[in-house]
Amino acid sequence: MNRDALTAKEFWLLSTLGFATLFGVWSAVALSGFVPSQFLPTPWGVVERMVELTAKPFAGYTIQQHLVSSVGRYLLGFGLAAAIGVPLGLLMGWFRWLDDVVSPLFEAVRFIAPIAWVPFAALWFGTGIGGPTLIIFMGAFPPALINAYRGAKFVEPRFIEAAQTLGASNWRIIVEVLLPASVPSIVAGLRISAGLGWQSLVGAELIVASSGIGYLMVKGQASISTSTVMAGMIAIGSVGIIIDVLLRRMEATINRRRGR
Amino acid sequence: MSEIVFEGVRRVFTRDGKDFLTLDGIDLTIREKEFVAIVGPSGCGKTTCLRMVAGLEFPSEGTVKVGGKLVTAPGPERAVVFQQFALFPWKTVWENIDFGLKCKGVPAAKRGEPIRRFIELMSLQGYESAFPHQLSGGMQQRVAIARAYALDPAVLLMDEPFGALDAQTRTVMQEELVRLARKNPRSVLFITHAVEEAVYLADRVVVMTRRPGQIREIIDVASVRRAEDWDRLEHIEEVMDQASFVHLRTRIWRLLREQQQPGEH
Amino acid sequence: MAARRRFGRTQVAVATVLGTFALWYVLTATGVISAARFASPREVWAALTQISVQGYADAKLWQHILQSCKLVLMGFLAAIAVGVPLGLAMGWSKRAEAYINPIFLLLRPIPPLAWIPLAIVWLGLGDAAKVMVIFVAAFVPSVINTYTGVRALEPYLVEAAAMLGAKRWTFIREVLVPGAAPHIFTGLRLSLQASWTTLVAGELVGALHGLGQVLNAASQDIFPAMILVGMIFVGVCGGAMTWLLGAIEKRSMPWRTS
Repeated sequence: MNRDALTAKEFWLLSTLGFATLFGVWSAVALSGFVPSQFLPTPWGVVERMVELTAKPFAGYTIQQHLVSSVGRYLLGFGLAAAIGVPLGLLMGWFRWLDDVVSPLFEAVRFIAPIAWVPFAALWFGTGIGGPTLIIFMGAFPPALINAYRGAKFVEPRFIEAAQTLGASNWRIIVEVLLPASVPSIVAGLRISAGLGWQSLVGAELIVASSGIGYLMVKGQASISTSTVMAGMIAIGSVGIIIDVLLRRMEATINRRRGR
Repeated sequence: MSEIVFEGVRRVFTRDGKDFLTLDGIDLTIREKEFVAIVGPSGCGKTTCLRMVAGLEFPSEGTVKVGGKLVTAPGPERAVVFQQFALFPWKTVWENIDFGLKCKGVPAAKRGEPIRRFIELMSLQGYESAFPHQLSGGMQQRVAIARAYALDPAVLLMDEPFGALDAQTRTVMQEELVRLARKNPRSVLFITHAVEEAVYLADRVVVMTRRPGQIREIIDVASVRRAEDWDRLEHIEEVMDQASFVHLRTRIWRLLREQQQPGEH
Repeated sequence: MAARRRFGRTQVAVATVLGTFALWYVLTATGVISAARFASPREVWAALTQISVQGYADAKLWQHILQSCKLVLMGFLAAIAVGVPLGLAMGWSKRAEAYINPIFLLLRPIPPLAWIPLAIVWLGLGDAAKVMVIFVAAFVPSVINTYTGVRALEPYLVEAAAMLGAKRWTFIREVLVPGAAPHIFTGLRLSLQASWTTLVAGELVGALHGLGQVLNAASQDIFPAMILVGMIFVGVCGGAMTWLLGAIEKRSMPWRTS
């Protein structure tokens, strides 16, 4: 009845078997001719295409150039979301009246999926950098705000009381007590924010862009070049992993410095 | 049928490639319907002994047998009362007690009666539809004990059952357990680090050494209890006031103090 | 004292919302916000009436809502029907986990929306492609959270169940699933959210009907008022489904205090 225990050898064997099943079935179906190679390239076909795209431009640019485009917009949108969301969240956590004013508006807009802003993004920014940035912002903003808010609101009252008895002004309390105490929550929120922002980017670039990885995939889909589409998916996934790993590292370092 | 026999039991733990010997040669027999308490310093392996009878852990060497049969898996004939209560939070008091009977295959019509009986016995009337989180620690442990008794087990295994309760609740529970145990005798293995509790409840007290655990001495309490007629006294504090009680308690304390390292107080 | 505070908060909330409305009205009426870029409250009301009564983008509002909800439900329910049992298996059996995890590790980093082009290549611009992407989007959170729920089950509860003699299916039904239920529901909530986002994105890319299609058509017609109507109903439908899930959650877990 207990969870079966696994030896290291069994673990590696089963994991390898898992990988093998995935790639095996994929390759088998691709090679069998059951599905035309346009619709299902072999795994190595996708890799070949990826390499090809680094040299030969597709949909206007090489894959690296598309990536740079995407990452650029992403950083802009994410940066804005963090720069506005974190301070606002902290202030909302401290100033009750601000919370009362902003929260209802925030809650009302929250349920609208970020991607639903695409039409307005297109209307206001065309296919310029503003469009995708807006979508990314709408995706990355809520977690940044909420986590900063929670961090500030649920700071141990003892810390605040101690600061107040020592005669600290409001401003000083916010900067020297609230902010440091909220850091773990803020950082966790930024990690989620970064992930959601990257996902929103993809959606935006499928519709309102003229460059970027999402755009690359849409053009690939239009010319039924599945290997291009899959190459794009791999690129997106890889960058997503890198972003997540970087932020987790940062989170761990910060937590370690604080002795957790 | 419900005799518990430890024969040459040794238990080795491996962690990070290193071997730790937790039990070093335990030979112990708990007779039918005998109430045995095990006391000892932290880490001496007393809980491990209980878990081996329960079938939740197994000896590295030697055998643990109940009723002549080797223990290979957990089962309702060796009911366990856990320190953390281990009640299912999503089941009501009634459903928690009912669960074991259901798994045993007792038909629904026949299950109501024993459940009602033990609810009454453990003073849980009125709480049948309550969820564990709505009950105090003492109440929850009562449900756990009711659950165990409802299985009509040959062996009752109690792993520091009152450890998570406050001092007053603990005292009340000890009195109740004594009443229950005298009325429904069966083989009981009771783990605790509270010496007074052990002397009050048990027929025999097994004192263990620190890790690697061995049996230091087995104190016979039942003969003293009968000779001094503790059972005539109603309250636990009266029993604990008896010179004979204090004498036994001090004797065990001395044995435990020997086990302490220099530097500990 | 607390009651007064709460009442005060509601007042402020209402005041804020009304204030925002007033601001909106004024800014659009005076032309500070141009009509080409945003819509006035009046225009939004007119658009709402139009789509409800006459229809827009080849269907009436309720038909668009029905279409979108239908696709979300199909993808979502299929995903949790596969995902939750898989999560249970992976959480309980280390063997299953070792075998299936590699596939997960590869698929997880790919954002659900990134599957849209592939789905369109394989299944065209119809409903099937959308359901496929919704499935993928809803699948991952339900597996992961169910898995976490199983792993979070206290060991002493598992031991108690073994001691009580619970056999396999009884154990799964009466211990494993209820024990993991809180996490499972978290997964369901995340899955539902992902489903809606993916649905809207999919319909924006190309569809015949649905709320996303309304957005798309309004975008092409440069009809800001209708865009707003579309967005509002995306929010309302998403919110309603989430609320419904929350109600189901509360009723299935009567023992939960929070």
